[in-house]
Amino acid sequence: MELIKTKIDVAGQERLSMSERETVFEARDVSVFYGNQRAIDSVNIDIYQRLITAIIGPSGCGKSTFIRTLNRMTDLVPSARLTGKLRYRGIDLYGPGVDAVEVRRRIGMVFQKPNPFPKSIYDNVAYGLRILGMKKDLDDRVEKALHSAALWDEVKDRLKDSALGLSGGQQQRLCIARAIAVEPEVILLDEPASALDPIATSAIEDLMHELKRDYTIVIVTHNMQQAARVADMTAFFGLNVTPEGSREGILVEYDKTEKIFTNPSDSRTEGYVTGRFG
Amino acid sequence: MRDLYEVELEELESLLREEGELVDRAIRGALNALARNDLELVDELIAFDDEVDRRYLTIEQGIPSVLARQTPVASDLRLVLAILYINLHLERIADYCVTIAKLVKLAQGLPRDAGVLEALEEMGERGREMLSTGIAGFHSRSARNFEALVEMDRPIDRANRKLIDRLIALGPEEAQREWAMRMILVSRCFERIGDHAVDIGEQAAYLERGRFEEFTDASHKPPAK
Repeated sequence: MELIKTKIDVAGQERLSMSERETVFEARDVSVFYGNQRAIDSVNIDIYQRLITAIIGPSGCGKSTFIRTLNRMTDLVPSARLTGKLRYRGIDLYGPGVDAVEVRRRIGMVFQKPNPFPKSIYDNVAYGLRILGMKKDLDDRVEKALHSAALWDEVKDRLKDSALGLSGGQQQRLCIARAIAVEPEVILLDEPASALDPIATSAIEDLMHELKRDYTIVIVTHNMQQAARVADMTAFFGLNVTPEGSREGILVEYDKTEKIFTNPSDSRTEGYVTGRFG
Repeated sequence: MRDLYEVELEELESLLREEGELVDRAIRGALNALARNDLELVDELIAFDDEVDRRYLTIEQGIPSVLARQTPVASDLRLVLAILYINLHLERIADYCVTIAKLVKLAQGLPRDAGVLEALEEMGERGREMLSTGIAGFHSRSARNFEALVEMDRPIDRANRKLIDRLIALGPEEAQREWAMRMILVSRCFERIGDHAVDIGEQAAYLERGRFEEFTDASHKPPAK
């Protein structure tokens, strides 16, 4: 008959079945202290492989503190101390015998302000490779990283030029190239586009979408719309004022991004994403 | 993220395109079931509605996601809103086809009248034409005269009047009266399909022109050309 059944293609709707996703980070009751001051309190979260996880929330809610715990950048702050358990692929990241340098190779980070070294474009990308002894096929590795960061076409004819001559957006993509050159498994992005104009921001966001195929990405952003656009999962951090008057960051809600932006479970999340606080 | 956004919009529109094609097949199926008094086709048609509903639901769920995550503006916003409404209209048309199928089933064994069936076929075919005009205009973004849909609606009204005359003339027997009442409902379905097609045209025009106008309504005349 003429009414032949057709197959449906549920296009574009990424089905996020969490039970089938591998967990990369597992935080259990993670608190971070700077001296006696608790910056974040008892965060419990699972971060999944090859997804983009966004962390949003008001200033001072501990977003950056939290993301920095993921590759032990907090170690670099002398007064900082972490309690609870933070596991990376089942391994206690803060356990004895864990090499923080190796952690940071596997878990790369890109910061808010593009911070290329005052060296050539080539050397910026090759730097980490040389230090880690990944010198074999150096040219190929540099080219591959620049390709992955969607920068190759723009810089291939001037690899020897100073990286400082690049635009802000290009510098940020160079920093991403530098981070991925050493073949990490995770890329942490701390406000990667907040110093960039909308066009450069859009390039970074498209790039993140490309990188998701190979990497697990965690991004801190104070731009909610950016989280809405790029992230698969979104964590909303809020501020808790203790009876003693100190302010601590807490994880209020963590869910699929679509849920957070269409029907959040917590009224504090609703207040934040709609712009109606309190 | 604009690349992904483009893809999302394209996917929503392509699902809508599929839904439109399915709905056209549903109308054709309803016409055939009616003309041939084909019970097998009736059942197939009722089941076929699930195919339409799956597209409908996927679009229905996709739209809040695009609105919340991509904050579309300008022509993108109009596109998303037009898809939202056209999706509803298509789903309703498919439901009318199911209703027609059920009425064919209920009219089994009753005496049929060729003239009435001819008028119903005329109405259904005009409805299909209107739907394809509205849908094609929407997908091609062509600056067409969507108000022509209102003109196309006229033969439906004419066929409807002819149909009523024929039905009244059928005679007083109970079986004939029952069949006539079933067919009145079928005609109502085809008429509504035409109305939904006009509404789809209104959405297509909205997308192109950036302002919404109702082509026609019982309370006012269509806008001057």
